[in-house]
Amino acid sequence: MSGSRTFTGGLDMDVAVIEREGGHLSGHNGRNDLLVGLRAVRVWGTLGWHDIRQRYRRSIIGPFWFTLSTAIMVVVLGALYSTLLHQEVRNYLPYLAVGLVIWQYMSSIANESCNAFIGSAYLIKQIRIPLTVHVCRIVWRNFAIMLHSVPVVVLLLIAFGRWPTWEFLLAPLGLMLLMLHGVWIGTALGILCARFRDIPPIVQNLTQVVFFFTPVMWSPEVLKDRGWVAEFNPLYHMIEIVRAPLTGRPILWESWAWSIALLFVGFAFAQYLMRRTRHRVPYWL
Amino acid sequence: MMSPSIVAEGISVEFPIFENSHRSLKKAVLNLTTGGRIGQDAGRHAVVRAVDDLSFRFSEGERIGLVGHNGSGKTTLLRTLSGVYEPVRGSLKVAGSVASLLDVSMGLDPDATGFENIYLRGILDGMSPARIRSKIDEIAEFSDLGEYLNLPVRTYSSGMMLRLAFSISTSVEADILIMDEWLSVGDAEFSAKAAQRLETLVGSASIVVVATHDPSLVERICTRKIGLEHGKIVYDESVERKPAALEVSHDPAPLS
Repeated sequence: MSGSRTFTGGLDMDVAVIEREGGHLSGHNGRNDLLVGLRAVRVWGTLGWHDIRQRYRRSIIGPFWFTLSTAIMVVVLGALYSTLLHQEVRNYLPYLAVGLVIWQYMSSIANESCNAFIGSAYLIKQIRIPLTVHVCRIVWRNFAIMLHSVPVVVLLLIAFGRWPTWEFLLAPLGLMLLMLHGVWIGTALGILCARFRDIPPIVQNLTQVVFFFTPVMWSPEVLKDRGWVAEFNPLYHMIEIVRAPLTGRPILWESWAWSIALLFVGFAFAQYLMRRTRHRVPYWL
Repeated sequence: MMSPSIVAEGISVEFPIFENSHRSLKKAVLNLTTGGRIGQDAGRHAVVRAVDDLSFRFSEGERIGLVGHNGSGKTTLLRTLSGVYEPVRGSLKVAGSVASLLDVSMGLDPDATGFENIYLRGILDGMSPARIRSKIDEIAEFSDLGEYLNLPVRTYSSGMMLRLAFSISTSVEADILIMDEWLSVGDAEFSAKAAQRLETLVGSASIVVVATHDPSLVERICTRKIGLEHGKIVYDESVERKPAALEVSHDPAPLS
């Protein structure tokens, strides 16, 4: 009966026709959910910011716990691993700091967006707004959290005598790309996890494992002739677009090419899922 | 702009029932590898058809009362009209802005203060901060919660929480108003105030769709009565307006 319209079934878009006028947020469908959602900056901006304030309402130093925990992590791990991997501290610490901060951002996006729609079910079942808004809320919240670690990175760079160069200007550009990456990853995971409840634990496990395969604690140069392990890891390139300009590593055009190409592929995938399932997601919650 | 209207042609709403075995990736993967046999039952979930092939047209000025037993599809139809559920078949055209009073207390964030909840709700409804600020005083005043609005909602009594939810959700202006039962909240004094506010809201909307179990409510405010049973329309008739009925004090159903 409904087989053809459920997620596992065939593409069957034209059966239900819904037209809405009026509220600009409710007038969307699977085709333009991502676009309308992304443009509702005020909505997800407010919600995401509210989340952060909410989480640290009764804490004294509030979101600066992120700053502090990054500092502690980097110093402790940096001391340990620079010895283990025979790396020079003055190069290794900034490298590790930038990598860890970005990794934390990406892994929390992956994990939290599994719950993007399941956790917002109470809103989705009450107000019609683009589903993408719920994803952007998570992305923005984590992006803002990531920015709290910037002082640590800056301090480390200054401490090890690396002064700003023109290349630094590439870093904000890279961060913008990472923010957009969060949106497609979040949308895809949010939809898949709403339908298949086995995916959240899979994602959780994967992020733990992938961490060790991704050059965060180690650099590809350590692998010498096995460096290709990193070269074919898109996550490496996504980190590198921010890390290379900041730490003075060579800026590879491949990293930018990988990141931008993946962004297009990712959004195409998210758009495909959204088009197919926008009208079904509320039923799965 | 077109005048507000709702036109439905043959809309159906079906809820897929995922049993544990169906909702898993395992089934989907097995489905890929084993092809036909398991696939047939894996692809076809049991479904509950809550709204079954309905066609209707609501136009400006109409006050529609939906009546029917529990589980007859009233609430699902309201949610479909408000855009939460999209019909699996048929076409639904909604022209005009829609405000829905369904589960009014559900959208409250218990850890946020009363004021923050008012603000967040306004943002979700797509209002500009300036517009929200212009309404916030009115909502606060109507709720009569005073200083409590600076406290987290979880510290409220359930009655206070409902007052806040009611004040927020009835502060909307929309062409089409969708209501699940007539809301009533609080003690006698507040309840009278609330009834009046709801009355005004109903009066200013172009189209009102209300689901109710209360026949006197239908007589009092509705111009048209639609009976639902098993997701189908069993009758659709106009209601004779009784001018005297407006004075009859109603016995409001409790807020769900």
